Amino acid sequence: MASIGRRGFVKGATLGALAFSVGGAEVLMAPGEARARNVPFRLLDGHQGETLEALGETLVPKAREAGIAHYIDQQLSVPPQESLLQARIFNFRPPFAEFYRSTLLTIDDRSQKLFGKEFAQLAAKDQREFVDRMRQNKIEDWKGRPAALAYAVLRADAVDVVYGTMEGYEALGIPYMPHIAPEKRW
Amino acid sequence: MTNEKVDIVIVGAGASGSVYASVMAKAGKKVVLLEAGPDWELSDLISSEIWGRRIKPAGAPILLEGKNPMGYAAQAGWGSGGASLHYFANFPRLLPTDFRMKSEHGRGHDWPIAYEDVSFFYDKVAREIGVSGDARAEERWRPAGEAYPMPPMKTFRNGDIWIKPLEVSGIPMVPAPVGMNSVEFKGRPACLYDGWCHVGCPIGALANPQVTYLGDARKAGAELRAFSTVTRVLTNQAGTRVTGVEYYDDKHQKQVREASVVLLASWSAQNPRLLLNSATDKHPKGLSNSSGFVGHFMMTHTVASTWALFDEDVQNHMGTIAVQYMSYEHYPKTSQKEAFGSTFWTAGFALKTTDLANSRPDLFGAELDDYMKRAARNLTGIKAFGEELPAMENRVELASEKDEFGMPLGKLTHTFQPDAVALWNANLEDGEKVAKAAGAKEAWPARGAIPTSHLLGGTIMGTGASNSVVNSYGQSHEIPNLWIAGPGIFPTEGASNPTFTLFALSQRGAEQLASQWGTLTN
Repeated sequence: MASIGRRGFVKGATLGALAFSVGGAEVLMAPGEARARNVPFRLLDGHQGETLEALGETLVPKAREAGIAHYIDQQLSVPPQESLLQARIFNFRPPFAEFYRSTLLTIDDRSQKLFGKEFAQLAAKDQREFVDRMRQNKIEDWKGRPAALAYAVLRADAVDVVYGTMEGYEALGIPYMPHIAPEKRW
Repeated sequence: MTNEKVDIVIVGAGASGSVYASVMAKAGKKVVLLEAGPDWELSDLISSEIWGRRIKPAGAPILLEGKNPMGYAAQAGWGSGGASLHYFANFPRLLPTDFRMKSEHGRGHDWPIAYEDVSFFYDKVAREIGVSGDARAEERWRPAGEAYPMPPMKTFRNGDIWIKPLEVSGIPMVPAPVGMNSVEFKGRPACLYDGWCHVGCPIGALANPQVTYLGDARKAGAELRAFSTVTRVLTNQAGTRVTGVEYYDDKHQKQVREASVVLLASWSAQNPRLLLNSATDKHPKGLSNSSGFVGHFMMTHTVASTWALFDEDVQNHMGTIAVQYMSYEHYPKTSQKEAFGSTFWTAGFALKTTDLANSRPDLFGAELDDYMKRAARNLTGIKAFGEELPAMENRVELASEKDEFGMPLGKLTHTFQPDAVALWNANLEDGEKVAKAAGAKEAWPARGAIPTSHLLGGTIMGTGASNSVVNSYGQSHEIPNLWIAGPGIFPTEGASNPTFTLFALSQRGAEQLASQWGTLTN
């Protein structure tokens, strides 16, 4: 492929891991590893990351551990033509970060209205209730893209990090059978 | 960078552009392909649904509107190979009835050609790039032709399990023809049946352009320039001929490439966008648009999916993304009492984890995890593709917003007409009956938003400038050295996958272009 100008992307594509910033250097690792090593976010703030993890875990168990917030954060930091996010397939117009930022704001705002707390602070059963309402577009005064669409995109991201990796296939007992395998089982 | 005049400049290095590049380069013409995306190599095609998104468009050059917006980015291409770098390589053909819908039913359009004008090229393409299937079995529904060069692909339980229930439901199935190798073909290996076709086949078992027409074109001297975005087709002062194209190169510098012939091959939505953006005082509505039809009659297929969980392991990780079986039994336009249009039935295809999750989009949390574990070995499905009739209001226009090069974005407005919706519903009901006959443990239709598959129309062919944009070869009615290729020139869509037909039409058009070159360029 003709180079599209980002060393991290090209190497990542070859090795199958993503480029995270650690101590001023770019290190290739899987998002779950980045989370475990407490790698700082590039674009998200701590609260946004916490909210994404809570959403991801509600949508797909183990999404937090798989590094959903680090995955989305790293992917929002690369040019859109290098992005692997589902927002690309949903035909969103870049920058994709706008969708995540505005959606997280709306979620916290509506969560406060419905349950008196921000989403990440809710009990698991209330988080589930909130997401189920999102799925059905049944949250009053929702702002931005429709709640059901936000549910679909965030669910797809969580499915990616939990079930879309080689480890995810293995956990489900599905042979991965790659022609060209992503290294580091991702 | 040199920009000397060439014989033909081709806008887009996907399926149709690659056919023209191959034919014209072999005919000794100097060919340049300008491709907006990267120049992908087989080694870029990582077996991962996540990494596979790199070969699809990013951003939104086409804005999507209407009640049933087209699933554009999932199906479009970006880079050499275009959408056919990640296509499923299903190679059914249109049937004779598709070419004469207006005459037979008073609906839609007639094509200016008949099935017999294309059948020779179906066979030629099959010989050229390799098709696996059983032509004799298909001939219960279509005129006889040549046998396919390879036997049918292997089948797996996820497909075989549907054959009897479909048969007893009045839908007999036959092996599906696919652009994949069931055995080694022209030095390309046989398929491994691991289901990664849709993120790009790096071994060459699937007939993507890199290992077929585009590879041949390069061997014959065609040049491909990546990251080259064409913004206008240029014309002479009289407006009687195109003179080349304006484009932005990989350094975002504006360039002009002169050519004797310009071929637009950038898929159904981008071709009209370019024609409309190339308006001049001689062509105030855009090039080749005296009919006012440029951008209109956009079409897509409905997909009626029925999912089923069985007690047995159906090996759903095995096979290809292409289908194992197909049926034209419900293809006659009046097969459904309450709807109009063709239906094309398919069964048997490999599933990945995204497919498993998408088969129950309502589930999340622990319920989704439980479902994924059950679906991992026991889920399979059938799909019925439904025809949509051409409608003037389904269209591509220029939007007020612009891209990074100052070119207006395209706006694709699409709404399924009542016939298409009725056909989709009828096909879902049929699917439920089949699943019941199959004895599935659980079965459900994929309702919700109507899925869209494929994108056709926008630059339709016809008999003259009053009723169409191009003739049956893809040549503009109004500017003889401007040609258009791809599914955009289909005046009706049938219900079967379009790529085999677009390959055949491109082969036919390219041979015509080469044969009349002297009169065209003098």
